[in-house]
Amino acid sequence: MRNLLLFLQRYTHILLFLVLELVSLALLFSYGRKQGTAFFNATGTVVGGINSLWADAAAYSHLREVNTRLEDENTRLKMQNDALRQMVDEQRHTPTATEQRLADVLKKYPLIPAKVTSNEQRADRLNHLIINRGRNDGVRDGMGVVGGGGVVGVVAEASANYALVVPVTHQRSAISCRLRGTGWFGYLVWEGGSKLTAYLDDIPRYADVTRGMAVETSGYSDIFPPGIFVGNVLAVGSGPDGQSLRLTVHLATDFSNLRDVSVVGNIARSQTDTLRNHAAFNEGVLEKK
Amino acid sequence: MFAAASQPPLNPPVLLPDTLTKVYWFVGLLLLQVVLLDHIALLGYAIPMPYVYFFCLLPTNTPRWVYVATGFALGLLIDVFTATPGVGAAACCATGLAAPYLLQLFAPSGYAFDEPFVPSSRTMEWMPFLRFAVSLVLLNCFLYFLLEAFTLMYFGRLLLTTLLSTLLSTAFIAAIEKLRAATARPRGLNA
Repeated sequence: MRNLLLFLQRYTHILLFLVLELVSLALLFSYGRKQGTAFFNATGTVVGGINSLWADAAAYSHLREVNTRLEDENTRLKMQNDALRQMVDEQRHTPTATEQRLADVLKKYPLIPAKVTSNEQRADRLNHLIINRGRNDGVRDGMGVVGGGGVVGVVAEASANYALVVPVTHQRSAISCRLRGTGWFGYLVWEGGSKLTAYLDDIPRYADVTRGMAVETSGYSDIFPPGIFVGNVLAVGSGPDGQSLRLTVHLATDFSNLRDVSVVGNIARSQTDTLRNHAAFNEGVLEKK
Repeated sequence: MFAAASQPPLNPPVLLPDTLTKVYWFVGLLLLQVVLLDHIALLGYAIPMPYVYFFCLLPTNTPRWVYVATGFALGLLIDVFTATPGVGAAACCATGLAAPYLLQLFAPSGYAFDEPFVPSSRTMEWMPFLRFAVSLVLLNCFLYFLLEAFTLMYFGRLLLTTLLSTLLSTAFIAAIEKLRAATARPRGLNA
């Protein structure tokens, strides 16, 4: 402390000089136009450099936030892009021969377009789909459902706005099908495994079946109109009873990737129902008589 | 030879009139500068600045901070009148700091600073005194013009201005000193 005081005492004039010089220069830089300009030009460069460094550092520390925002935006844009691409694809889509034929077949039937909202794959092989159309839209139990490639399944239960569909890939699904161009028909069943293959049973052994033949709905049930494409014969094998063939069918509908479907409102069905009712009525009348 | 050796020691009764005298000189030099000399611009830029003569009035036993402080005050007041804020103050303050060292440098050889003296033509002889005065003026002028220009771009011009101003200032200081020496009373300004 004493040394400090001695030091201060000894160099008072130096300290005073420094202080007064600082004051002078401060005056010079604040009031002298030329000097002030020169001073601020010089310091401006330095200050500008420091400022930009500081800004860089601040920007760098905000990178995480910026990144998060960019990722959010990226995700949003990707989703938007997907949606738009899908719309474009739908607009641009040129129907394949199968789709063309399917459309021709279905032209006579009222179609209720629907979207698959749930596509459940269950371990017990009792898969089912849910579509976003229900009774209010005209969907009824037992109606057929077709997709872009072919048969999808049968409506099992319709609520007001949704419907449960039992697809081909359901263990208890059995759709009456025939080999295109021949009279042979059988039932399409699925026994688990790949969702792309099902079996066509009850084809007589003597039927001349070759690989690649087309399988389509027979129209013997009221569910599907005849001629809706189902798939191609992949392999010809022997049925479980030994009396018939079992054809492995490569399904045209990809059940793992199903979005747009149509419910087939079968006009014929109402007509057949009417006929049945008439028959029942007539029988009743006859009985009454 | 050294009149300072015979001068009475600085005691309070003497100090007060001495201080007053220095205040007169301070004001006088200031007025001379701002009223008259600042309006002389020989050859466009040489300005006589003899006010550093004030440092010649301070006896050698003056605390050094007084040199610095009075230098600053003198320079600042001149700045106020010449609208060059800080230029004169900085230059004169630095000159004030350097004055005692310059005095040591140009003091008559062998002179010990044991006994205080006031630098003048009488105490130091003309040539040493003039060397001391020239060094003060040179330093002050150089700093003044350097700060005023605030660039080394026109260094030649700066040197020319400094030299011309130094020349003029020294002439003025010599004239003042001559006058003072001629009119000095035996005890007048301790010189």
